[in-house]
Amino acid sequence: MSRYDRVARRGLPAALLLLGVCFVAQASAAPADALMPVEKYTTAKAKNLANAHRLRLLEFSEQIYNCMPWLFVYPGHLGFPRDKDRPGDDRYLSTWIYVDQREDPVFAALPRERRVSAMFSRYGVDMLRRMAALSDVVDDGDVAGLSVVLSWLKPGTSRPGQQPVNETFALFIDKATAAEFLAKRVGPDDFISRAKFNLFDGESLVGRVPLQVWEDSFNSTYKIANYEPPKGAQCQ
Amino acid sequence: MRAWLSLASFLGGIVLLTSACATSEQWSEWRGHTTHFASGTHGVFSLRNNNDGSNPRVARTDVDAARSENWWGKAITVSPEQIFQN
Repeated sequence: MSRYDRVARRGLPAALLLLGVCFVAQASAAPADALMPVEKYTTAKAKNLANAHRLRLLEFSEQIYNCMPWLFVYPGHLGFPRDKDRPGDDRYLSTWIYVDQREDPVFAALPRERRVSAMFSRYGVDMLRRMAALSDVVDDGDVAGLSVVLSWLKPGTSRPGQQPVNETFALFIDKATAAEFLAKRVGPDDFISRAKFNLFDGESLVGRVPLQVWEDSFNSTYKIANYEPPKGAQCQ
Repeated sequence: MRAWLSLASFLGGIVLLTSACATSEQWSEWRGHTTHFASGTHGVFSLRNNNDGSNPRVARTDVDAARSENWWGKAITVSPEQIFQN
């Protein structure tokens, strides 16, 4: 066996291992990766928020990563963006979550508006509640409100030979209304009327769809059988 | 010579890794991928629990592994610029 063969035999497994690491990295990311990098913000206000609350957001990301593994925060999409359609520099504490859900006949049978309502009621409200609990962040005078973005697999789009499509629901709400709604002093109808939200079908804007919000404790009560959070993780 | 070949092999691996990551969005693993989660609901719900009746512990790394095994490529998703400004 030549030297070249020996080196190649050693190098190929190493390259494949590195490739495997890269492949796995597509589907998983560390909690710190969820935070929007400070240098990506375009205003001093946003950069100050990101610097001031970095540790709290990291804790928040770790809690999702460790305790709710059925959810996945898109890398770089936990932070303080502003609403694209709103003038000025109002900053929202925002997280963009992918709900790891595969084809399900019951879910697929729901009309689109019902799917959106179900996903927001189940995951969106709980995320708003968890973000609102970051009182030192939300009470920052430079935070105008909360935003939650949810993406999930659009039913019927994961067939072989077909690129899957995600449905995405993006909501913005001022922090006073969010607090009142979570405290049940504002009802779902008022919350919906004051919120700004849009649905996207893949890359296409669908727009504001009829939304209903109801009680759903799944995200705060569900436990994966035999799942053991990493040591030191405090799940609640 | 041997050192040179080792270095070349290492650098080749890095190039392969870098190019694989850089072009990952263009991959088309979803073509012909027939994997589905048995539970029909959340991917992580069908982890290895109860397959052999032994109820083994599931760690966070198992979730990542299950997710990557069932990952079939980048789905068509709205771009952040359609929602946010940084």
